[in-house]
Amino acid sequence: MAIDWRSHELMVNGVKTQVLRAGEGEPLVFWHGGGTAGGWEFAAPWTEKFSVYLPLHPGFGGSADDAGMSSIQDYLMHYLDLFDELKLDRFHLVGQSLGGWMAAAFATQQSRRLQRLVLVCPAGLWVREHPITDLFRLKPEELPAALAENPAALGSPPDPHDVNVIVESYRELTTLARIGWQRMYDPKLAKYLHRIDVPTLLVWGEQDRVVPLEQAREWQRLVRGSQLRTFTPAGHLVLHERAEAVKAVREFLAA
Amino acid sequence: MAQWLDDLQFYTMHFMPYVHLPPDHEKYESLWVDFPNRFFDPQKGHELYQRYMSEMVLADQLGYDGLVVNEHHNTVYSMMPVCTLMAAALIPQTRRAKICCFGVPINLEMPNRLAEAYAMLDVMSGGRLEIALPLGTGMEYWANSINPATARARFRESLEVLLQAWTQDGPSTFDGEFFNYRYLNPWPRPMQRPHPKIAIVGSGSPETVQIAAERGFGYSSVFVPIAVQEKTFRRLREEMPRYGHSFTPDKAMFNAIVYVAENEQLAEQEFKEHMRYWVEDTTRTTPRFLNPPGYISPEQLRMRAAATASHGGFDWDVLTSQWRIVFGTPEKIANTLGQWCESAGSSRVILHHHIGDMPHWKVVKNMTLFAEEVIPRLRGRRGGNQTQGEARERAAGVTAAAGGR
Repeated sequence: MAIDWRSHELMVNGVKTQVLRAGEGEPLVFWHGGGTAGGWEFAAPWTEKFSVYLPLHPGFGGSADDAGMSSIQDYLMHYLDLFDELKLDRFHLVGQSLGGWMAAAFATQQSRRLQRLVLVCPAGLWVREHPITDLFRLKPEELPAALAENPAALGSPPDPHDVNVIVESYRELTTLARIGWQRMYDPKLAKYLHRIDVPTLLVWGEQDRVVPLEQAREWQRLVRGSQLRTFTPAGHLVLHERAEAVKAVREFLAA
Repeated sequence: MAQWLDDLQFYTMHFMPYVHLPPDHEKYESLWVDFPNRFFDPQKGHELYQRYMSEMVLADQLGYDGLVVNEHHNTVYSMMPVCTLMAAALIPQTRRAKICCFGVPINLEMPNRLAEAYAMLDVMSGGRLEIALPLGTGMEYWANSINPATARARFRESLEVLLQAWTQDGPSTFDGEFFNYRYLNPWPRPMQRPHPKIAIVGSGSPETVQIAAERGFGYSSVFVPIAVQEKTFRRLREEMPRYGHSFTPDKAMFNAIVYVAENEQLAEQEFKEHMRYWVEDTTRTTPRFLNPPGYISPEQLRMRAAATASHGGFDWDVLTSQWRIVFGTPEKIANTLGQWCESAGSSRVILHHHIGDMPHWKVVKNMTLFAEEVIPRLRGRRGGNQTQGEARERAAGVTAAAGGR
């Protein structure tokens, strides 16, 4: 069943920001990863229990570009403004990949505002022996297989010769480059993860070829009391690939 | 009298490519960025450097006004990842020609170090240095640890540092977004005061033309279609007065690929295969490498995607009609270049006498015939100020001087 998203447009410190909303219940904020191509239909089970807020990060989808946002902290400042605007004080936070990095960083600074935290194959941690795959190094045609164990689960791939597809993907890659061309992690993040003081669930696809499953152990070690749920067969886009993963998030948040 | 004729100058440029490709090189989409460097043979590289330098030295002896070198990384296209080294090597081997670094992508250097390196070259050469500043192709950003999304902002700031280093007495300070200098005080300072002549290198993007216009610099247009170049120079002429600078024909610098021979048919026969090699092989890369994320705006990418969809590969008719490529007799080439200078309002022609995998003898022939038969024809139009005989004498004099040292 398709989600009946309501799309809102807000000006946040001068940046036009699109926020999708659906469902009723406790607020659940979802921070997406470094691309919007897969869509958000996977979130349907969450909307049955929660009031889901899905803001598009500046530089992605319907939110405007801001060349001045060049770090995770810039995004956190943006979201502090947005949450004020939305009058969201306490909420559940779910972040995937790039959004997972943002969510972890937010939690190190604003732990008390979070009811529960879910990190879905988060980027951001520096694990030398098991590094994150450099997505900038991949050719466009290599991306689907890198992102998913079963790329068909992402729906029909966008036409690689369509100029609109090329331009939109270039725009999102540009946003990503501003944050992470140098490195898609923060060498200091590990030093501060002990500040996360909220029930935390880690979700991983066992065949993740972007952020290897081995990094999950490191997160578990660094985030006190965190639980890990893994799913197979599933790659980096585990939420798109495995409905059980989405349901597991719902159960964790509802507990 | 056309203004461009008063100060017509001919530079010759060399990319110094590595030409010994493996037989199966066509299986590589790109000969830039990720083409495996195990294919570089240093012995062959050594021989090529010797040969290419001798061609630049010959150009000095033939009376060319400038010897142009530039810089690229991770590619067979160029063996000059540090073009200031090549410039330094050419200085003691040459006497007259300007040494033109067109140039180091300033973003890949610390701007104070670039101010130092260029000042060294200027002092070492007795004030013969001329520079042009490129943003660097997209490929350079894959090869170096610099964020392409900040390329344009960084370029502007680097330029500010460079100019401050040369125009303000040191020590000065600089507080910027990318650079902080407590003691900006480079030694040596350039011999030319306040600094060597500067141009911006570009393909005609609004940002680079804007910088040249604001600063009153020249604009050295890389190899792009004639129509794009002319639009670029028109914009430069229009914009420059808005910033209190006057446009002069030496500020419109264009690249041209030429091949001179006894007749048109022979010229085509001797030249075409090397042009094909250049287009199909040494410039071969991918859209992804050309445009790393943030290197251009999404809007510009849309325009470029539309432009590249309309042509592909080696199209001789398009190349020889829409690009500045001319081959044939001295008379034909002189006429064509004269028209190009006239319509571009330009007095600076950057010639490519070597292209692709052209052998040494053809470069020598091309360069010599051009100097002796084409340049005098064009200079002769300036009310006969310099005859063909004078050009020969000048060249012979320099040759004798070089030989006698």
